[in-house]
Amino acid sequence: MTAEFVVLLVVVVTALAFDFTNGFHDTGNAMATSIATGALKPKAAVALSAVLNLIGAFLSVEVAATVAKGVVDLGTVGGEDLLLIVFAGLVGGILWNIATWLFGLPSSSSHALFGGLVGAALASIGVNGVVWDGVLGKVLLPALLAPVIAALVATVGTWSMRRLTRDISEERRDRGFRLGQIGTASLLSLAHGTNDAQKTMGVIFLALVAHGSITADTEMPFWVKFACAVAIALGTYLGGWRIIRTLGKGLVEIAPTQGLAAESSSAAIILTSSHFGLPLSTTHVATGSILGTGLGTKGAEVRWGVAGRMVVAWLITLPSAALVGALCWALAHMIGGLGGVLFVFTLLCGLSLFMWLRSRKEPVDASNVTAEWDGSLVPAATTPEPVVQEGRP
Amino acid sequence: MNLLTHTLDSLWQVVLVGLFLGAGLPSLFALGVRSLHAGRSSSESALQPLGVAGAVVCFAVVAIAVLCGILLLTADFLSGTFGIHVF
Repeated sequence: MTAEFVVLLVVVVTALAFDFTNGFHDTGNAMATSIATGALKPKAAVALSAVLNLIGAFLSVEVAATVAKGVVDLGTVGGEDLLLIVFAGLVGGILWNIATWLFGLPSSSSHALFGGLVGAALASIGVNGVVWDGVLGKVLLPALLAPVIAALVATVGTWSMRRLTRDISEERRDRGFRLGQIGTASLLSLAHGTNDAQKTMGVIFLALVAHGSITADTEMPFWVKFACAVAIALGTYLGGWRIIRTLGKGLVEIAPTQGLAAESSSAAIILTSSHFGLPLSTTHVATGSILGTGLGTKGAEVRWGVAGRMVVAWLITLPSAALVGALCWALAHMIGGLGGVLFVFTLLCGLSLFMWLRSRKEPVDASNVTAEWDGSLVPAATTPEPVVQEGRP
Repeated sequence: MNLLTHTLDSLWQVVLVGLFLGAGLPSLFALGVRSLHAGRSSSESALQPLGVAGAVVCFAVVAIAVLCGILLLTADFLSGTFGIHVF
């Protein structure tokens, strides 16, 4: 086994790890409101979402060996240099994803990956390695616009749905809307699988080309598709409970009317926005939609403090991941060769393990994810043993 | 500047379609739920035929829209694998 092959192997494993974090980071985008209203039991919701992500991933078509096209320009490097940049970028993305999950903050996985790659490209190639127009047009502007557009649509939807159903009984209304929620949540999960899994497929394909295992004209190997689909589905099934709790309970109180309005708004915008040349991040759209339902409900409380924390997280996603990406590249580059890559990989494993152990001290899981929001991410009345689900309201 | 005009051009389209589909369809669904239960005072009272018909129409339109959404998602896959061009 040559050193180059081991480097390739590490890059592929890291890419799949990113795919996995992408899965659990985004479960809440599709399922948080369905879990919050009780339309689906927490475990059933993540299982359904995982299966649809798996199907969605197989339905995706990634034909080009590109990564973050239009945001970074990696055309000037090749071979092991390129592998190192992609690797450092992935590490930046993963660490940012796990850190934001620990704090229960929904932040865009694509932006984290973009950030990591921007940092690694800056450190290695210099300012020419980054397409600044692309950073502005594909990352910053959409991040500002997405929540506003989604909030507007969800506000109008919630208001109109509440008006239309004000003279029928609450019980009948909620039953109908819960069914609708399951449908829209499923559509969102399928869309997530098709869109997000192919990003990792592109990264692995690019790594294989850089290593020389295949040429850029080769068809996507089946094992790449399969591995990416399984990684994102497993991540989804793990369920980012901390993020689900923030989205489902933290921002606003969600009843079935609000849940259906939020998910319809998210689904409509996510499915159509890229066709109009404005690629919006699923996370930003989902969060904006949920916020909008609070605005569209008379007398509802919108917890602006929670929303503010999210916005801060979004603003610093790109620079933070870029910093980590640049540092990782510099570390690996300084040590050099296989040793450098293995050192950064060990660092990644260590930091991830540390953050995971940290989360176990104050766990949020299927048993307490829907507990009343008392101002903190972790419900105060957590019992050491997981509560049996039947007692859930 | 080019970026700004391009973004603004995309923006109003996304907002318009978002409002039409993202707020319009759930409202239609709500109308369906209302139509189904209109004129029923308690759970024992029978469904009204006209109400049921209205509900069926509303739900059918929503279902077709969702189906179009799934086709939109799988359009590339269908054309690439089976040569079916839906859009």
